[in-house]
Amino acid sequence: MYIHDYSYISPQHTFRETDIASIVEYTDNKLTAIEPGYADIPPGVLRRMGKAVRIGIGAAMPVIQHQSIDGIIIGTANGGMEDCIKFLNQIIDYDEGMLTPGSFVQSTPNAIAGQIGLLDKNTGYNITHVHLGLAFENALLDAFMMVREHPGTQYLVGAVDVISSYNYHIDLLKGTFRKDLISNKDLYNTTTTGTIAGEGAGTLRVNDIPENAVAQIRAIKMIHTEDENEIKAALQDFLRQQVNPNGAPDLFISGENGDERLLKYYRAAESVFPDDTTIARYKHLCGDFPTASSIALWLACYKSPLPNHCIKRPGSLRQHQSIVIYNNYYGKQHGFVYLTKYQHSQLLLNFLYDAGTGCRFFPVFMI
Amino acid sequence: MEKEQLKQQLKEQIIQFLNLTNLKPEDIKDDEPLFGEGLGLDSIDSIELIVLLSREYGITIEDPKEGRKVLVDINTMVDYISAHRTK
Repeated sequence: MYIHDYSYISPQHTFRETDIASIVEYTDNKLTAIEPGYADIPPGVLRRMGKAVRIGIGAAMPVIQHQSIDGIIIGTANGGMEDCIKFLNQIIDYDEGMLTPGSFVQSTPNAIAGQIGLLDKNTGYNITHVHLGLAFENALLDAFMMVREHPGTQYLVGAVDVISSYNYHIDLLKGTFRKDLISNKDLYNTTTTGTIAGEGAGTLRVNDIPENAVAQIRAIKMIHTEDENEIKAALQDFLRQQVNPNGAPDLFISGENGDERLLKYYRAAESVFPDDTTIARYKHLCGDFPTASSIALWLACYKSPLPNHCIKRPGSLRQHQSIVIYNNYYGKQHGFVYLTKYQHSQLLLNFLYDAGTGCRFFPVFMI
Repeated sequence: MEKEQLKQQLKEQIIQFLNLTNLKPEDIKDDEPLFGEGLGLDSIDSIELIVLLSREYGITIEDPKEGRKVLVDINTMVDYISAHRTK
């Protein structure tokens, strides 16, 4: 499955005029999305949208406005949670009396894909995956299967989650988020429990056409376990089967989030890679949220090399063509995504490999 | 409450209930149609306005025909509120 366009609204400058060389700093443990002006959304429609719907559509519009798509596939753990809580509070405030429909309409998780479909006048496949920390990986897998089963079709795949004040406080009490305030720039320099909250919306246009592709998603794997040794073994198998017999991609993007309770999983995963492999992190940019791995995929597709503040271990390779993304949610849900990033001279080699010629591409062959 | 005061209050409530954040009360003319041309509201907004009348003024509109006569512009809404409010 090939990625052709990608777009992201995040707490950093990732939308349209991108700049991730410098970090936007947050000191309140909540990394909120930098929202654009939404010139593509009619004002009458925009005023009803909750934040999740708004940033989801905002991220989708640049990807689909000049392209016809055959379906919309969104991953979101919570959808428009803020509107959901508003609606539930209305039920109490007005003693189960007359309620307004707006908050309810906006609060369902599938409102995002639905509104994108309405604005794009798209009546094709429209589905929302809500598997918490694996919602985005499941959306990717769905698109992967759709593209394989229906050659010549293309899909919008996306991930959306936002911080809702209600959920934030519940997660804070549960210990998911840190109680002391830190800068996102210091996320990895601490040895305490809890992480910082984040949000974002990202979209991709995917199909089975290699020409002019930005990257190719080659494999996706999801597992549920709390045992770090199982993570290590599963990742080793994944690399051997999907990457190459040496099991070494050029770049490993880790979902490390500054919570010391989860470090064992990320350390177990990192231990699988040889010194040549570069190790990068991203949650200081976006905070942690269930579909945060979507921003790792955006970074993998990003036209420029990763900035130094994302690099945990430089490795020895100057170019990063083969990339593995690993994320986990509460140490229970784990997802691996393997992709190759293209410079366009690479496409022919890749096509030959896919066609079963036995020709395998290596970075040394890249121009 | 004076009619002009009620108009101002109603406009503020409409802006709040319908999330018309780009408008100020003075932008809404008393005789400007609420639906279609004019303010450009739609059918979901009409439900929001009916809920507004119920919550803020204790008015229940059950007959859709009556609703169409009331939800024309600010003047018709204010006249109806003045005549039927229970709070």
